[in-house]
Amino acid sequence: MTNNKVKIKTEKLDVFYGQKQALKNVNLEIFNREVTALIGPSGCGKSTYIRCINRMNDVIETCKISGSIKIDGQEINNKQIDVVRLRERIGMVFQKPNPFPKSIYDNVAYGPQIHGLADHKDKLDQIVQTSLKKSALWEEVKDRLDEPGTSLSGGQQQRLCIARAISVNPEVILMDEPCSALDPIATAKIEELMEELKKTFTIVIVTHSMAQAVRVSQRTGFFHLGNLIEVDTTDKMFKNPNNKMTQDYITGRFG
Amino acid sequence: MSEEKRIVKSYEEEMQSLNDDLVKMGSLTESQLSDTIQAIVKIDKEAAENIVKNDAQINELRAKIDDQISTVLVKRAPMAIDLRTTISSLKISHDLERIGDLAKSVAKKIEPLPIDLPPELTGSLKRLGELVQKQLNNVLDAYISKSKDKAIEVWRNDEQVDDLTHIAMNEVANFLGKNKKNLELATHLLFVTKNIERAGDHVTNIAESLYYLIEGEYLEGARPKGKEFVKDK
Repeated sequence: MTNNKVKIKTEKLDVFYGQKQALKNVNLEIFNREVTALIGPSGCGKSTYIRCINRMNDVIETCKISGSIKIDGQEINNKQIDVVRLRERIGMVFQKPNPFPKSIYDNVAYGPQIHGLADHKDKLDQIVQTSLKKSALWEEVKDRLDEPGTSLSGGQQQRLCIARAISVNPEVILMDEPCSALDPIATAKIEELMEELKKTFTIVIVTHSMAQAVRVSQRTGFFHLGNLIEVDTTDKMFKNPNNKMTQDYITGRFG
Repeated sequence: MSEEKRIVKSYEEEMQSLNDDLVKMGSLTESQLSDTIQAIVKIDKEAAENIVKNDAQINELRAKIDDQISTVLVKRAPMAIDLRTTISSLKISHDLERIGDLAKSVAKKIEPLPIDLPPELTGSLKRLGELVQKQLNNVLDAYISKSKDKAIEVWRNDEQVDDLTHIAMNEVANFLGKNKKNLELATHLLFVTKNIERAGDHVTNIAESLYYLIEGEYLEGARPKGKEFVKDK
């Protein structure tokens, strides 16, 4: 591991949806410019975890979060934090590609516009182009930027969503099963892209595909019933995990 | 090994069948090696012929195990203990095959030997052969019981194999020293001794693979080494 700076740190993180506890005392460090994969059976809390990082759970009324979530040492789990600014720093890509019902260009330009990152058209054009290049989509769409984002294929739409996420120059990208609706080729393109993105961004990916976790991540955390059971380098986790529960899960003995 | 069964029954069966075939291959190799040692001690040329013939069975099993492992790798993308089991099985089966080959090549050397070899020669070969045989036996027991301690013990005992090899080689050198006409015979016997020692090295490899399978780590430190062969003055 070349870069050992902690980017995100959660301590004693508890999350409740009403009476149901979704996360139990989760202590986890996410390292800067690495891909961290979160695995575990459905309902284990891994998506809840990443939704805490950009305060996406705020929109759920019954959701109660306690404990500490720090980004670069700064506490974000409090009322003083400007969540709009926070989500500019921490982008998110979802399971199903969800481009805005706008042109390809506007999908990417939207974020920089509302966050005031471009004061003139040339600057905006440049951000759109750079973002589409970074998401490895530019060559495929450069002659059709005014077509609707929804006219693209599923894999292209997902890369468009990645371009949209990175257009505001975030520090962290959260990915919630970004490839589960994609075919193997589109999946390979996203994985290839992640390899490139991690040079600039810290990435946290929730995935049901253990093979994908092995391919894309440097660290893996295993969640079960709201507990973080084990976190270690991906290599160690998939070759020789310390915890029997991790081993039983990744060798297909429960889930 | 986890006692819980896998959710996918066919995966469970594939891993079980891989294990069964490896154990079967181990026991075949074990009897080939022990027959070889007996045949050389007794200069039993008929037994030697059978050993040469039977080697094909070991090779067939190795090919079958290779195929099973390719299937598991491509179908299951095994992880953790399953990954280590698969990789170690591949290595162990290849070491067993090599032990089989070495037994065969020792058996082939029996044909030109006279039935009245000096007893100190057959004696030292017997002791070396029986030790290697015991080592193989122990490592296969360790495999079946997945015993880390037994694997380490086998690994350590390779030193004794080296020492007995050294003694056996000295006996051959003395035999040659007594009469230069013994040259051709002595050459055969040196090959035989060396091949038995190499079978012992493959047993040590198996102990290492087994340790990795169980612990997920490599046995640390240099391999134990007995005396190198230098003719005693």
